[in-house]
Amino acid sequence: MSGQTTDGAFFAEPVAASNFSFLAGASHPGEMVGRAHALGLAGLGLADRNTVAGVVRAHKAWQEVGGAKGALRLIVGARLVFADGTPDVVVYPRTRHGWGRLTRLLTLGNRRVEKGQCHLTLPDLLDHAQDMALIAMDGDAALLATLRETGQPLWRAARMPRAGRDARRLAQAMALARESGVPLIATNDPLFAGPEDRPLHDVLTAIRLGQTVQTAGRALAANAERHLKPPAEMARLFARCPEALAATRDLLDAVRFTLPELAYEYPHEPVPEGWSPQDWLEHLVREGGRSWFPAGLPEAYERTLAEELTLIAKCNYAFYFLTVHDIVRHARSLDPPILCQGRGSAANSLVCYFLGITPIDPVKEKLLFSRFLSEQRNEPPDIDVDFEHERREEVIQYIYQRYGRERAGIAATVIHYRPRSAIREVGKALGFSEDITARVSGTIWGHWGGSRLPPERLDEAGFDPDSPEMLRLRDLVGRILEFPRHLSQHVGGFILTQGRLDEIVPIHNGAMEDRTFIEWDKDDIEELGLMKVDVLALGMLTCIRKAFDLLRGHGLGDYTLATVPREDRATYAMLQTGDSIGTFQVESRAQIAMLPRMKPKELYDLVIQVAIVRPGPIQGGMVHPYLRRRNGEEKVEFPGPPDNPDELKEVLGKTLGVPLFQEQAMKLAIVAAGFTPGDADGLRRAMATFRHMGTVGHYQDKLISGMVRRGYPQDFAERCFEQIKGFGEYGFPESHAQAFGWLAYVSSWLKCHWPAAFTCALLNSQPMGFYAPAQLVRDARDHGVQVHCIDVNASEWNSTLEPSPLPAKGEVGGEVGGGVSRARDHALRLGLRQIDHFREAWAEALVAARQDGPFASLEDLARRAALPPRALSLLADADALGSLALTRREAGWDVRRVPPRQLSLFDAMAAPELAAEPDAALPPMPLAEEVVADYQTQRLSLKGHPMQFLRARLARRGILSCAEVNAAKDGAKVRTAGVVLIRQRPGKGNALFITLEDETGIVNALMWARDFEQQRRAVMAARLMVIDGEIQRSKEGVVHLMVKTVHDATRLLGELAAGEHCEPELARGDAIKHPAASPNPGRHPRNVRILPRSRDFH
Amino acid sequence: MTLADARARCPELVTTPEDPARTAAALERVLVALSRFTPVVAADPPDGALLDMTGCAHLFGGEAALLRILAEEMTRLGHAPRTAFAANAAAARALARHGAHGGGDIRALPVAALEPPAETLVALRRAGLATLGDLAARPAPALAARFGEGLVLRLRQLLGEVAAPLVPRGHAAPLRAEERFPEPVARTDDVLDVAEDLLRRLGRDMEERRLGGRRFVVTLCRADGARRRLAVETGRPTRDPAPVMRLLRERIESLADPLDPGFGYDSVALAITRSEPLSPHQIGLEQGKEAVDDSIAALVDRLAVRLGPEAVYRLVPANRHLPEVAQAALPLAQGAPGRAASFAARLGESPPRPLCLFDPPQPVEVIAGVPDGPPLRFRWRGHLFAVRLAEGPERIAAEWWRHEGAHSGNLAGHPENGALTRDYYRVEDREGRRWWLFRHGLHAEQAHPQWYLHGQFP
Repeated sequence: MSGQTTDGAFFAEPVAASNFSFLAGASHPGEMVGRAHALGLAGLGLADRNTVAGVVRAHKAWQEVGGAKGALRLIVGARLVFADGTPDVVVYPRTRHGWGRLTRLLTLGNRRVEKGQCHLTLPDLLDHAQDMALIAMDGDAALLATLRETGQPLWRAARMPRAGRDARRLAQAMALARESGVPLIATNDPLFAGPEDRPLHDVLTAIRLGQTVQTAGRALAANAERHLKPPAEMARLFARCPEALAATRDLLDAVRFTLPELAYEYPHEPVPEGWSPQDWLEHLVREGGRSWFPAGLPEAYERTLAEELTLIAKCNYAFYFLTVHDIVRHARSLDPPILCQGRGSAANSLVCYFLGITPIDPVKEKLLFSRFLSEQRNEPPDIDVDFEHERREEVIQYIYQRYGRERAGIAATVIHYRPRSAIREVGKALGFSEDITARVSGTIWGHWGGSRLPPERLDEAGFDPDSPEMLRLRDLVGRILEFPRHLSQHVGGFILTQGRLDEIVPIHNGAMEDRTFIEWDKDDIEELGLMKVDVLALGMLTCIRKAFDLLRGHGLGDYTLATVPREDRATYAMLQTGDSIGTFQVESRAQIAMLPRMKPKELYDLVIQVAIVRPGPIQGGMVHPYLRRRNGEEKVEFPGPPDNPDELKEVLGKTLGVPLFQEQAMKLAIVAAGFTPGDADGLRRAMATFRHMGTVGHYQDKLISGMVRRGYPQDFAERCFEQIKGFGEYGFPESHAQAFGWLAYVSSWLKCHWPAAFTCALLNSQPMGFYAPAQLVRDARDHGVQVHCIDVNASEWNSTLEPSPLPAKGEVGGEVGGGVSRARDHALRLGLRQIDHFREAWAEALVAARQDGPFASLEDLARRAALPPRALSLLADADALGSLALTRREAGWDVRRVPPRQLSLFDAMAAPELAAEPDAALPPMPLAEEVVADYQTQRLSLKGHPMQFLRARLARRGILSCAEVNAAKDGAKVRTAGVVLIRQRPGKGNALFITLEDETGIVNALMWARDFEQQRRAVMAARLMVIDGEIQRSKEGVVHLMVKTVHDATRLLGELAAGEHCEPELARGDAIKHPAASPNPGRHPRNVRILPRSRDFH
Repeated sequence: MTLADARARCPELVTTPEDPARTAAALERVLVALSRFTPVVAADPPDGALLDMTGCAHLFGGEAALLRILAEEMTRLGHAPRTAFAANAAAARALARHGAHGGGDIRALPVAALEPPAETLVALRRAGLATLGDLAARPAPALAARFGEGLVLRLRQLLGEVAAPLVPRGHAAPLRAEERFPEPVARTDDVLDVAEDLLRRLGRDMEERRLGGRRFVVTLCRADGARRRLAVETGRPTRDPAPVMRLLRERIESLADPLDPGFGYDSVALAITRSEPLSPHQIGLEQGKEAVDDSIAALVDRLAVRLGPEAVYRLVPANRHLPEVAQAALPLAQGAPGRAASFAARLGESPPRPLCLFDPPQPVEVIAGVPDGPPLRFRWRGHLFAVRLAEGPERIAAEWWRHEGAHSGNLAGHPENGALTRDYYRVEDREGRRWWLFRHGLHAEQAHPQWYLHGQFP
């Protein structure tokens, strides 16, 4: 028998826990397996507390140490912890059927209670105990007798925990075993791999108990004995009871089940009677192809299609494609249809294109099918589909309804310890005050490189990194990172099965109602070859659909994603000027700065733009070479081996020799270094994970030596590898960039030609995108769109388009390149949804009441729409009663007089009429206050910008407007001020980006991190910022303000809110002089936010 | 502002969680300090005080000087005061909290001085009503119709049109009683009877205040002017004279120099210098006594009176694995005898521990099996003990978090820092004596672990 050590001892640990026994186990499943293998155990039984969440990882680790051919057997099951006081019972399914019983048992326990718990009782086990092997961890003769009735192989655990009375306990257990006829089985009941894990286990215990290791006392383990022990050691411990050791062999013999037996069947539904799935798929694909090529498929397409279909048939994936097709088809068949589009690597497939799942023609774009599916990889395809974000739930519920909850479930996402949470919780368990852990974790800007907390960071925060306490913290935090913390549900990854899903994997209740999820995450699913469909939400699809609806509804054109005019010159002309606010993917500050340099002329340029302005390529230093080549400043060269000098042109030609996409890296490896497609895919995977795995080194040698051998210069080969590595983790597949590039184009086209409808759709799809409604509306007005304010007699819940009676005079602002704008035909009417806290139901009531004619007065409105006083005062404060001839101030005053509750009929008859009141003689509201009130109620104003009321004062201090800054000469020293829109510290964080806005436009400022630390308080606190700096103007005309100093001038905004603007002498300056003593900080009017929050990092 | 916001701005920020109890206690101290200025001091929680200075200000050199002295006093106590004078308390409060330093025009205060709900405040501002003066100029019914009567009332209080009475902080009279005798009383017992009467009297006072005494001080004044103070303490608050008298007599008996009445006592005084909250008890119908079983508490009190409180210790369980620190002997003075669960309940099931622990553990020479066999024989103080029976080991690891360098999962730790694991054995020698020994350090940690004798079982 394998597993026999030289000294003849035989032992298989039957009851190992991993860290999926949350806060109890202190080692990863893989570590347990690895250690068991290293110690020479004959087998390992992994049984976590009421879960099988860790078994796939253990299985994977087991494959790595030799799997079935190795010396170690792995059996998987669960340790049942009962709610009724029954001692724990460990169960191992002996067969596939037994596995199904176990997962159903766990599902039963999970579904009974809230998320994250499992409620099981002994009778549940008895009901499900078929084809299982049972180990009672404790318990008396009665329990053993009960368990014996199941007829399943049963053992009772015997332990030698070094607790003082081990020998006595063992003797008692042996007596019990003789009496009851249930054999003993030796176990050390390990919670971690080795004794060195004890501190970590103590910390986990303290976290679980909400205590510190100092106070947890006897709740912590007394010693470090609960680790995996080698067979010789176990033999010594159980010298008096060798039969308990031998029993572990019996257990291994009894349990034959392994995870790969979870043979998986795709759902069979979508195939009509009499068709085989493959035939039906081919039929659908051909039909789809006919709609693109009515005259018959060109030869290249035929060839590709045949190749794909053959592979699909060979791997038996037809059902999978049919299932995805069914979901997409359903979404499109709804009324109104839900827009959807495949993303990711699926766009490499012609089958997906013809089925209508993806929008990209892979033959035309020369995409690599093997990036999506390859025979070597032997793993299921993964199709991700984006749906309109507001309607994704409909799709999800369709899936549940179509396949049933027994057959459909969402994948889990394992929430791991991250640096911040690790520092916080470990620090707390070690007895640090929250103040200190907050300060330590405050030094972290995301991930740090290795697994240890970098000492410099601690030094910066004022801690001695070598003090014993800090050493402990650093060490333990490093070890707890990547520990699973709890399970959560994946955003939209669905698992669908033909048989019962709960016989494959236990199902949990989601936190959200009507959601269930399984306890394996996407890696586990992939490992087992289960099928997953990602049903994702994309805000821009909602927006585009709404824009199309608006156009159709106003008779302006009938478009779909597929019929939008392609390669429109006006659209590219617009984008070339960096005019892209609101569009998909190309609207961020970095993208806007890049557009005038890229000057996109065709769709593929947008595809590259989407892919290149990302952290990976930027850090990999690909942007500048690409731009230089594109602008003809650098020669595009393709080094090649002597026998085929042009071979790389084929691969990198589209991107001018700069590898940008994952496919290119793969093709490069195949073409230039002679990789097999399987190897190339391995390279891609290594790239995606090299940061924390370090597996890329092997491929590095292989790639470089392969290229050199074929005749490439060494330095070129190395550069290629560095570039590939550079974008590794962040890289897109080209197909994904294609899919996103198309949406970027469609949104840009809408913005260019139908700015009113586009803005309207954007506003109605909020929250989404990069910009707040204020910036979107402002941008629309800059493009000549008339925007009307919210009004009870005109507005609906959503923003709407209104035929514009008067063509605006000479308003062609933003028109570019001769595109014919219909901007003047329709005006945008802001909807009631822009009013903070206003409810959709109120809006519906209001619109319904308006059917009988416009409201004539406030009383009329209150009576007919039957709105509660709060709704009325929201309307009044939002200045939405303009058509009733009420100013904001009058409306607010009048509205609050309406009795605060609805009187019943008889009370109302008895109530006195509201008596005439003497005029309150309210002062008129100055414009500045109107603007401020607009921002407070709807976060945007059509009347002006707060900064304009400060302009005179600012100008006196020599402060330039944003427009003046943008017009300033390169190198000019300027001072400017504006409201902070964005603070960002991207990537490695050497630079900080600040965007300011005033009534004339925006300024992009850049600050170096070293300057930031000195001025941190002003930078982080300021909502109105004054910046001194120097203009830096690129030759494309992109202006950046290099920040020297920052001042916080938020005070000025406060004065606007108090209506005391523009007064050099403050009437009640005392309120400003003693701001700290306000009894209600945050409620004082001075502190009422005038402007929406900026988008910040922390 | 969230804490994260604040930290982003000021990473070196030091924060502590809000503690209402401590804030209230601090305010109470401030009020006590302020009572030197006027007897009428009222709390304005959480962080304010109102002083009625009617007729007192001149004592401090006028209002301005008073404010200065006040500010100095508060600054000395570590507070940053904002003060204001006004004709009524509400106005003074508003000026201090919302107005200029030291006073000013009440009508110029912002409407926020009314401290209305946030929504009302916004509505007032939207209406263009910025100051109390703006509000006062509007017809009151119009304001009341919109913002409620409460707002109008508050406004009128601030303007002094409606009285806002001050509720001064109460002064608790000390628990003290005295009896003077027309003629000196010569017998100590008679005086003690009087003391018992005083106790009974104060007991009624305490009952009203829901207090119970912990420390009782009897002062006996002799006719020749000599005074004798006798103090007793009880373990738990009480109002019952009997146990206190018992303790008092105990105390008198144990005095080193007995009481000498001399020419007799002039007077006797009783002061209760420490009291704690005590709810009224149901009195049993038949005995008329409080039916509380406090025999242990009474015993502890008697022992403390006899032997001195410092001589009485309590054993408290400590939640630790290491045997020598698993319990602690606390002097009686430290903390009340807890109603904590019993030892067994606190410790749960654990192997037996000897009642007698050697401190420090005694080094012994041991012959034992490797790696973790029980001792076969051991030599202590020159005697050889042959082990007949042994049970163990009970393995207790070091508390790694208390040892430098033991954090890194290195169980072996360093021999010099004591982070060693112990293997405890219960053994019985040939004479039937039972011992508790441990091996200090596993063989994996130490090549030649030292053995210690840690205790003896009865």
